[in-house]
Amino acid sequence: MDRGKDAWILTFKLRQGSRFSSGREVTAKDVVYTFERALALKGPGSFLLTEIAQLKPGAVKALDAYTVEMRIPKTASPQSFLSILTFTIGGIVDSEEVQKQAKGGDYGKDFLSQNSAGSGPYRLVRWDRGSQVILEANPYARVKPKIPRVILRYIQEPAVLRTALESGEVDITEGLTPEALKALEGNPRFKVVRAETLRLQYLGMNMKPGSPFANPKVREAVRWAVNQDELIRDLLRGSAIKIQTFIPRGLLGYNPVTPYKYDPGRARRLLAEAGYPQGLEFELLASTGICGGGVPCADVAAKLQADMAKAGLRARIRTIANAELLNTYRAQNHQMVLAGWSPDFPDPDGNATPWADYEARSLAWRNSYRDEVAAKLARQAALEPDPEKRKALYKVLTEKVLREGPYVVLYQPAQPIGLSAKVEGFIKNPMMSSPLWLVSKQP
Amino acid sequence: MAAYLLRRLAYALLVGLGITAITFFISQVIPIDPAAAALGENAREEQIREFRERYGLDKPILVQYGLYLQRLLRLDLGRSLRTGRPVAEDLKEFFPATLELALAAFLVALALGLPAGIWAALRQNRPPDLLVRFLALLLGSTPVFFLAILLLDLLHRRLGLLPGPGRLDPFLIPPPVVTGITTLDALLAGDWAAFKDALAHLVLPAFVLGSASAALLARMVRAAMLEVLFQDYIRTAWAKGLPERLVVFRHALKNAALPVLTLLGGLLGGLLSGAVLTETIFSWPGLGRYVTQSATSLDFPAVMGVTLLVGLVYSLLNLLVDLLYALLDPRIRYA
Repeated sequence: MDRGKDAWILTFKLRQGSRFSSGREVTAKDVVYTFERALALKGPGSFLLTEIAQLKPGAVKALDAYTVEMRIPKTASPQSFLSILTFTIGGIVDSEEVQKQAKGGDYGKDFLSQNSAGSGPYRLVRWDRGSQVILEANPYARVKPKIPRVILRYIQEPAVLRTALESGEVDITEGLTPEALKALEGNPRFKVVRAETLRLQYLGMNMKPGSPFANPKVREAVRWAVNQDELIRDLLRGSAIKIQTFIPRGLLGYNPVTPYKYDPGRARRLLAEAGYPQGLEFELLASTGICGGGVPCADVAAKLQADMAKAGLRARIRTIANAELLNTYRAQNHQMVLAGWSPDFPDPDGNATPWADYEARSLAWRNSYRDEVAAKLARQAALEPDPEKRKALYKVLTEKVLREGPYVVLYQPAQPIGLSAKVEGFIKNPMMSSPLWLVSKQP
Repeated sequence: MAAYLLRRLAYALLVGLGITAITFFISQVIPIDPAAAALGENAREEQIREFRERYGLDKPILVQYGLYLQRLLRLDLGRSLRTGRPVAEDLKEFFPATLELALAAFLVALALGLPAGIWAALRQNRPPDLLVRFLALLLGSTPVFFLAILLLDLLHRRLGLLPGPGRLDPFLIPPPVVTGITTLDALLAGDWAAFKDALAHLVLPAFVLGSASAALLARMVRAAMLEVLFQDYIRTAWAKGLPERLVVFRHALKNAALPVLTLLGGLLGGLLSGAVLTETIFSWPGLGRYVTQSATSLDFPAVMGVTLLVGLVYSLLNLLVDLLYALLDPRIRYA
């Protein structure tokens, strides 16, 4: 990485001899094509390149067959860019294969919705929508998977999923309920993994003028009125990490402080000081769907409602379809909302900018949290190349938002995964992908 | 007759047009932004704006509807907001699964409901009748998800008699897709192992889905038969000394068939429009699940596509039922 005059210059050396599933070698030409294609298609995920990394067409160049140079503006964070490159949008495609299949300027999009053209350990051989995906080992890949054929099946109903695991029809399951996971734990035929995620479940309080939550004392009262420990122990059955700051564990800048505990008396006093001696009534929006950790959002909301009520915070719960909830939230028409957030890319800036910078028109904006100091800190931290300095900036920022911001972070959910005891080597990384080529299975 | 057919087909098209108009209207009344729904919680305002522009959601409603109809004339159902693929492609993939399951369930309903109803009518108020009525009540009132999970647990997990969810054993190599109906594709490929396995996979969901229809059918057949069995001409037939087979099937059943036929048309239409619960529990990639997921993510092009398809299926089934009327009852003539 070089600090150019007006751009960050990142130079990559490709490993020689890596091959696509077609047998062609991976060259700089393919890398250049991949990024041009992504910029031209403007698909979901391309904003990571265009907005976060501010990558322009022509900014990725091949210096020779195995050397690629990428330039991004000084206003973009090179750390974030490196994280983005590990994401699906950074997967290099076989330029010749894709161009051969392209029709009508679609850059092979239709072809790639049913086929793969990459250099990874597996290639896609069949995709029956809503039913199954079949992967087979890519014969030319450098990494040879232990299992030659992997079938990903889509089973929506958790009870059926559990039956499929118990009858030996499937070996690895995602999407079990916390109860089912508890039941599997006592059985020697199965293993249980609680995979860490980078997701946060939180309450958002709208600070717009006229809202009771514009008063910092009311927000402070809510923080003392949430019983995090019971929520995690009783409802999530341990499938979550206790956290109060907004950078999840697993990312640089994670701040483990948890100064708030359940204290309804203190919350009540704060409410009185804020001018609500009789307590406060407000609306809490919750999705009809499932919240982080596999628990229905309505249950999480009910638990919060019961705990807050003891502090004089009387929440009226309104459960609505997730799409409608997002709509209301975006239009800033909520008072309090139970929502979730996962960073778009595995970098603290994937949380810091949306949570702290009003101008990013994301979470801070939706909750009317306009704080110049917080926004400036987020921008500064995003561009800081020294990890130690960056960490120090995030410490200041996370603590500031913890005490002043419009959020109450509830927990960082783990993803419940049940496996057959015969399966070895299964890993679920926090970005929700699994290196399946490391997995093996006893007969 | 040809003129009648043409007129009915034209009606079917009108019905289709009406359906699109209503669905389109509903899509505008719902106070939710499809773009926001499609892009999820992290989407930025610019992304939403761009998405709206790309799918033409920023245009006035009448313009949007006009554009939709224009595309429809070219048999283009638009692109799904959720899967990003042409809706027609999605339907081609999901409808055959529903067709397979619906036809199998329909056969189950016929095979169980028809004989049970006839038997019950012939033994009115005697033990067989009581048994049929009891079973019909039980099957008709058992919730689908309960029956499904019960049978899966018993016949698949505990006894291992039948395969679990899905359409085919994942370790079998699926037959090449020709019709999208797995059993038929396996037959076309001459792949007996796959055919047997696909058929075995079909048994449980078809029974679960067909049982409620069987219950309804049994009660309907029983009632219709009872009405006919006490008519003078049946008494005459008995008096002539005709064998029971002829009395029941030629004289009674044929006359009891008209109301039953109406019910059958409706039942098959209902089955063909997709069964959300059965499909969800048995991981059956059918229309019901597709349209539910599309609806919850406000994917209106997909919902319109499914509604249109289902509307046409109903129109055609109604036409078929009307034509069968004429066949069964020589007094009915269409011109």
